[in-house]
Amino acid sequence: MGAPRTPDAGASVAWLRRFVHTTPGVVSVIAVAVAACCVIAGVVVAGQLDERISEHDTVLDHSEPFAYAAQNLYVALSAADAAASSAYLAGIETPRLHARYQQALAEAASALADATAGATDADTRKSVAEISGQLAAYTGLIESARANNRQGYAVGSAYLREASSLMQTSLLPNAEKIFTANLSAVDEDQRAVGSTPVIGLGLLAFVLVAIVIGSLLLTRRTNRQFNLGLVVAAVLVLVVIAWVVGATRLAASSIERSRTDGTARFEQLAKARILAQQARTDETLLLIAHGDITAGQITFLHRIEDLTKQLDTVHSTAVGGVNGWSQSHHTQVAAYLRGDYAAAVNEAIGTDPNGSAAQFTIVESTLRDEIEQTRATLRDRVATAGAFLAWSPTGTLVLMVFAAAATLVGLWPRLEEFL
Amino acid sequence: MRARVATALCVLVLAVAGCGSSSAPPPSVAIPPIDAQPSGAQEVTTTPGAANADCGDREASLRPGPLPAPGAMPPGSTMAAIAERGRLIVGVDQNSYPFGYRNPATGQLEGFDIDVAREMARSIFGDPKPGDPDRVDLRVVEAGQRESALVNGEVDLVVRTYSITCERKKTVAFSTTYFNAMQRILAVKGSGIDSVAQLAGKRVCAATGTTSLTALLRLSPRPTVMSVTSWTDCLVMLQQGQVDAISTDDGVLAGLARQDPNVEMVGDSIAVEPYGIGVKKENTDLVRFVNGVLDRMRDDGTWKRLYDANLRSLGPTTPDPPSPRYQD
Repeated sequence: MGAPRTPDAGASVAWLRRFVHTTPGVVSVIAVAVAACCVIAGVVVAGQLDERISEHDTVLDHSEPFAYAAQNLYVALSAADAAASSAYLAGIETPRLHARYQQALAEAASALADATAGATDADTRKSVAEISGQLAAYTGLIESARANNRQGYAVGSAYLREASSLMQTSLLPNAEKIFTANLSAVDEDQRAVGSTPVIGLGLLAFVLVAIVIGSLLLTRRTNRQFNLGLVVAAVLVLVVIAWVVGATRLAASSIERSRTDGTARFEQLAKARILAQQARTDETLLLIAHGDITAGQITFLHRIEDLTKQLDTVHSTAVGGVNGWSQSHHTQVAAYLRGDYAAAVNEAIGTDPNGSAAQFTIVESTLRDEIEQTRATLRDRVATAGAFLAWSPTGTLVLMVFAAAATLVGLWPRLEEFL
Repeated sequence: MRARVATALCVLVLAVAGCGSSSAPPPSVAIPPIDAQPSGAQEVTTTPGAANADCGDREASLRPGPLPAPGAMPPGSTMAAIAERGRLIVGVDQNSYPFGYRNPATGQLEGFDIDVAREMARSIFGDPKPGDPDRVDLRVVEAGQRESALVNGEVDLVVRTYSITCERKKTVAFSTTYFNAMQRILAVKGSGIDSVAQLAGKRVCAATGTTSLTALLRLSPRPTVMSVTSWTDCLVMLQQGQVDAISTDDGVLAGLARQDPNVEMVGDSIAVEPYGIGVKKENTDLVRFVNGVLDRMRDDGTWKRLYDANLRSLGPTTPDPPSPRYQD
């Protein structure tokens, strides 16, 4: 390149110009051009399909597990808050209630570690850092509440309310931010798996056009209707187009189902689970505050209403538990309003199978199971989409190389006639 | 020639392209320290409706008639309706040791205010026989909700460290004074705060909707006043170093001081707070009845007995009950 143009070089360019206007020249150009287009299109299509497969791997190995971890973090944090206020309400907390709080904290810590691995952007990392800091502050406040409560100091309940306020106004919104960001990442990656490889299909169409033009030129020069090599190449290109369209369509419909039955439902169920936890916290805080319950009662009923709506849209079986819980809550409020505090507390955190604690546990575990099922469905559908695409990059590349070979082999006899 | 120019161009392009990247590290995450505050804590500079209402002698109440015997309330009276219902509903506090607080050992509400409330119920229903249901229904009301609880008829009486003010007398009626509280200051020992003058430039905490808050805002120079929902929230803020002092009635402060050995009550009285029992304004018969019961308690020694049982932490000697004043 860049070599000074010698008289020799000028002569060879001139020869080439004359050669391409001769019949063997035209045949050579068609052969080389079509074969090259086939290989290029094959490489591009295979590359694009490969991208979709790696997006599918990303969904299964990264974005979906991160969203799941974020969901766990969100739930574990609000579960810790609900458990802490229940334990406080019990006065000298029972080992069972304290163990539940510790369990929720352990789950939150684990989920935080998992979610941290997925925190690639600055915003998410900031949220993770804030959650770590706030969680440390939160547990400190809970321990202050416990220490004061054990000495019978009313200031303990003020520490507990402060902790819960930190949870509801800082920790949970941060966890929700991470959860929402991770879910939209899953959604984006999912859509990438099912998207049509437009550039590749465009190139394949171009190859077809090139073959048709080549055939027409050839017909004019050689007076033969069809060249078998070009026909085989065209058929192979058509097969590849059918394969690409078919595989991506099938993958896309599988992805579509993974989004509706999986991601969307997953989000709804997770939100329902948080609402249940928050309502549970409200319920126990009402009793801890010992105050006028009007405002707290309104918040609780709003949450239960939202929860029921949410469960209806996703046809969750947790609705039964919510009804039982609401009934028990009414009993609790009635007891509180007639001044029977002990009965109200017993209704809220006692071991009665019809009591709020047991009914809430039913709602919680039902939602947890449904979230696990939904997660399995989501992953299953994405894996199916991947299976549809699995052999497509190799297959299309091989077929397009065959198409290039067929072109060369088919046109060689025409060229040979002039040698 | 051409080759050399091309090479030079390539070198130039690469060098320019390389200019964008530097050796600066990527930004790391930085968050501010977490400073949790009680929910609803905020700085206030004015109290809503702080107009200095004037109603003459705020402590003057309605003169009682002869006290009806327990269980024999005059027909058609508010007391008869309460007797009919079977329970006296009283708004109290559960966070103000030693006036109204929940004993963590028993889970029961106890304190001076609670005992006064029980005395009222006893005067309507008579001495409870063993196995009788509790005749007094204690409902916890927040400081800022005392008026609305009475106006809406949620409670019959409010016995809850309730200072008699002209402002409040516009919406509710008060009994005669049953306790005189002093508004004082609670500060950390060794903090240097030992008088009202020391509060200048300091952060002071009080509960929303209380007369203590209004009194603090009237101080000159005015300290930075933080308002919170409950008195225990003030102690949390003091322990967390978010305020320098708490100012309210000595009884409430004594209750807070009991929960933290590092704080002490200091200074002279900022204001005297006469506690009265709140009654719905329309129920004048109930006001007169309550005043009658308070009179009996002053005369037969019940008041001193309740003081000794609940308020000995305020001082070594038992004072005389505040004398009643009447407007009619």
